[in-house]
Amino acid sequence: MSILISFPILLITVILQTTAVSRLPLVNGSADLMLIVLAAWGIHDKGRTAWIWAIIGGLMMSIVSATPWILVMIPYLVVAVSAQLLHSRIWQSPILAMLVITILGTLLQHILEIAMLRFNDIAMNVATILGAVTVPSLVLNLILALPIYILVRDIGRWVYPAEQYE
Amino acid sequence: MKSLPPRAIQIIVGSFIIFGILLLALAGILRPILGVIMDPFVAIQHWSSDRVMAIVDFFTLPREVTDLLKKNVDLEDEVSRLTSQAIQQAGQLSEAQVLYSLLDFARARPQFQYVASAVIGRDPSPFLRYIIIDHGSDDGIRHGMPVVTQQGLVGRIDAVIANASRVQLINDAGSTIDVRMQTLKQEAQLIGSVTGDLTLQMIPQDLELNSGEILLTSGLGGNYPSDLLVGQVASVNKSENELFQTASVQPVVDFSTLQAVLVITNFKSIDISPLIPTQSP
Repeated sequence: MSILISFPILLITVILQTTAVSRLPLVNGSADLMLIVLAAWGIHDKGRTAWIWAIIGGLMMSIVSATPWILVMIPYLVVAVSAQLLHSRIWQSPILAMLVITILGTLLQHILEIAMLRFNDIAMNVATILGAVTVPSLVLNLILALPIYILVRDIGRWVYPAEQYE
Repeated sequence: MKSLPPRAIQIIVGSFIIFGILLLALAGILRPILGVIMDPFVAIQHWSSDRVMAIVDFFTLPREVTDLLKKNVDLEDEVSRLTSQAIQQAGQLSEAQVLYSLLDFARARPQFQYVASAVIGRDPSPFLRYIIIDHGSDDGIRHGMPVVTQQGLVGRIDAVIANASRVQLINDAGSTIDVRMQTLKQEAQLIGSVTGDLTLQMIPQDLELNSGEILLTSGLGGNYPSDLLVGQVASVNKSENELFQTASVQPVVDFSTLQAVLVITNFKSIDISPLIPTQSP
């Protein structure tokens, strides 16, 4: 059931990302809806299918993005798995876990993308990138984290109605 | 003579009295007297009527309010529908204006064949400048084809599927375009960046470059046809310690508001990389 509903949810996420979210930048940064959805699902799903969601979401995003697919996939997998780990073993507050995972996931994603650009000999000023791209993206992701967490929690309750969520 | 019975006399006298009163009333003589009698009655009647109407209103008004509310909701729906229709028509008008502009551009350059496409998305990565358009290999679009608008150069096709394509914009960090300065006739390279800024490089130090210089594609490198408008020099950075001077360039196309583009389908980009000499060990 969880995997079945992942397709429409992640497809809608990709469509919203490319048509709406990417068109609403803050300075040069933009939010990553997929990363936030996967983090929220990782917290709610307790690690059962979050990694499958990450693979499906990563594949969908790599179709529309010019970023190499492996660089799209790695942060999503790390986010989905670490969301479950952080939630169940370290953090007792899922909202706090959500925010921490969003921050870590965004930073990891940007580090990988900067490394890719460096690898391709593209000149850049890292301080400018941090100020113009990474920090604004982080802010947007944190703004979206809470509403998406609530939305995904409701979907989680619908998928696993017998369980109690925090 | 037989006298009339008392009953008949009463009827006759009564009739005369009534007839007399009627005559007096018709002559208007009784009006003050009737006024004195009728005014309190009319006042009471008026008061009673007001009270009765108030009670009637009390029971009937809620229904009318409900009717009014329903009508109000209907009118609001109508207003919303018409507003939505107006917005939709404004959008269609805007789209039509964009398409007319593209058509004008295409007519002005009949040597090219075009496929008009709508912009349907953007790359999710904030580090990359790519757009997604709604035409693909089914419409004859191939990798490397130049993409333009009525304003100027947009970029080139980077990836194609059956019904969609991804376009690398000229301000992407991985984009390099060979350009020619319109008045100075000097060639240079236009480089994109992660932040979307365009920088003109490889400008000789002795060239007197000023802001406002128009940049066109030179056609060198085989990636773009020549003489497509690219941008305008915004500011020049000249340092004596550098081999070349650089310049910031303002693109003619506003990439944030792109709605529709033209793909030039009869231009085949040429990969000249095998011809570029490499250093042998």
